[in-house]
Amino acid sequence: MTMHVPVRLGPAELKLIEQLSAAGAVAAAERLGGAGLPTRRVEAYHYTDLKLLLRAVPELAGAAEAASAPALRVAGAYQLMIANGVVQETGTAPAGVIVGKSAGSVLTTRDDVVTRLNLALTRECLTLDLDGSVDPVIQIDRRTEGAAGHSTSAAKIFVADGGSAVILETYSGSEAAHLGNHATYLALGKGAKVTHITVNLAAKAATHFASNEYHLAEGAQLRTLIINAGGALSRTQLFPRYEGAGAHADVTGLNLVSDGQHSDITMDALHAVPHTSSKPLFKSIARGRSKAVVQGRLVVARDAQKTDAKLMSQGLMLSDEAEILVKPELEIYADDVVCGHGSTCGRLDDESLFYLTSRGIEKGEAETMLVRAFLAELVDPIEDAALNEALTAVIEGWLAGK
Amino acid sequence: MTTPMLEIRDLHVRIEEREILKGVNLVVPKGEVHAIMGRNGSGKSTLSYVLAGKEDYEVTGGEVLLDGVNILEMEPSERATAGLFLAFQYPIEIPGVATMTFLKAALNAKRKANGEGELSTPDFMRAVKEAGSALHIDSDMLKRALNVGFSGGEKKRAEILQMALLKPKMCILDETDSGLDIDALQVVSHGVNALRDPNRSMLVITHYQRLLNHIVPDVVHVFSDGRVVESGGKELALELEAKGYAGFDEVAA
Repeated sequence: MTMHVPVRLGPAELKLIEQLSAAGAVAAAERLGGAGLPTRRVEAYHYTDLKLLLRAVPELAGAAEAASAPALRVAGAYQLMIANGVVQETGTAPAGVIVGKSAGSVLTTRDDVVTRLNLALTRECLTLDLDGSVDPVIQIDRRTEGAAGHSTSAAKIFVADGGSAVILETYSGSEAAHLGNHATYLALGKGAKVTHITVNLAAKAATHFASNEYHLAEGAQLRTLIINAGGALSRTQLFPRYEGAGAHADVTGLNLVSDGQHSDITMDALHAVPHTSSKPLFKSIARGRSKAVVQGRLVVARDAQKTDAKLMSQGLMLSDEAEILVKPELEIYADDVVCGHGSTCGRLDDESLFYLTSRGIEKGEAETMLVRAFLAELVDPIEDAALNEALTAVIEGWLAGK
Repeated sequence: MTTPMLEIRDLHVRIEEREILKGVNLVVPKGEVHAIMGRNGSGKSTLSYVLAGKEDYEVTGGEVLLDGVNILEMEPSERATAGLFLAFQYPIEIPGVATMTFLKAALNAKRKANGEGELSTPDFMRAVKEAGSALHIDSDMLKRALNVGFSGGEKKRAEILQMALLKPKMCILDETDSGLDIDALQVVSHGVNALRDPNRSMLVITHYQRLLNHIVPDVVHVFSDGRVVESGGKELALELEAKGYAGFDEVAA
């Protein structure tokens, strides 16, 4: 017989339960009431104890009245906006792009509180159907505006067989202690080629949750770059699904954390069929008293022979108080695969610093050069010049302490 | 009497509890090329690192004057912009830093220290191309990340290229001949000889005499157990080659 010890619920949990109940999500409310927010004992939240870290939840955000300045502008991009969960009207879509909206959220149900909240609270989602080679960068700008609010949003993107696109998602808003919970469902058709970049520029006091679900059909090629630069508490969850032979993804991500920040990138990947490959590469740079978390789980299904997956995590610590926490998990049910994981963590290399400074380069500049070098692998593959420049500006801004 | 380019006075250096340099005295006048020869472990490389300002060493006594100015309190970058250059025995590979970006940063750091504006890109490209061609450095090599995947010879040529571009007053060449075949040795030596100048001095640190056939020194110093034990003309190098270092240990003792 299982003993049921009631979980003591805090104000954040009670507020979430109230919001779920009001939205009619009775089962989700009951679930949260019974289990509470996940603690470190829940493997997927081992380093991001939500019960401890999420102390307060603001009221559900109302309609946005004013918009803050765009967090990131990319020259030539086609911009779409979701403000406080509401899909905004847009101008004429470029060739090959059909913009629409539909009711509800987009994520596949799973045993995860962030997913459950998004599913229960999201009223409408932005839909994008992309066909052929879409030329401009498509930017989905998600904002949480006004007073501190709990805002959920969703986008569903289909890229047709043989199509190609570069999609940028930015998350920002007014300077308030928002709770944002954003979802993206991105399906790549056969042979489709997509670059998906997300940049979390949430307000300093905000909590940012994002869940990205990827479905890759036969021969689909995906590159992601997930940047956590904003928010007091951030967690970006990645769920790549390799569902067709020849599907490949370079899942890359970057935590940039400064004093007081906690950022988490958690990937849970499924190689479902034979002959798929992935190269997840996550980097973290931590300074001040901060925490960066990277969890990478690779599940290789029993039928998924010849899977080739290499998970890498690299951390750079710029202070004594910074923490970088990394956890790989490999769950392999097939017997003919090449899977591996690696992790490095450390400070800037003294020998390299000495070499650069011995050529007259001042120490601060030499350090910046080495940090840039550490990140080059992530940014260099972004081919669109304007986008590359915008991302570089985000990183340089962070390095300059902004 | 003119100020020497480099003057080392009774320099004592230790790493943790071990004393490595035990009172080095050395004077390199302007325009001269001096060689330091010594067996492995005699402290030659330590001397080069201490001069360049590497952190791991503790200077417990003595002075180092570069053109009359004590540099021991300076940061490595300040020593470099003051005109000191160390050609590394093992140049560091730095993935992600493009060679050209690095060269430009180094050149501009020096210009900034001299109160000059940044070099324009065409001027910079021209300077690198000119200096590079004499050292058989093609644009392909310069496109790579700094020293990454460079052969031993390429690394040493890249060091001399930096030296040619930065035009230091005092060059220290630490075992520049190590890892070089005869052809590469000639290219590097030509590069170094081309930089000989009445206003530039060099300190060539080597284990073998063969480098000194190519870069002929004005003075040879024998280094043993953390100090200079003998100084003489270039013939001293030949004597060393014939007798080995053992004969000089007794002098030290």
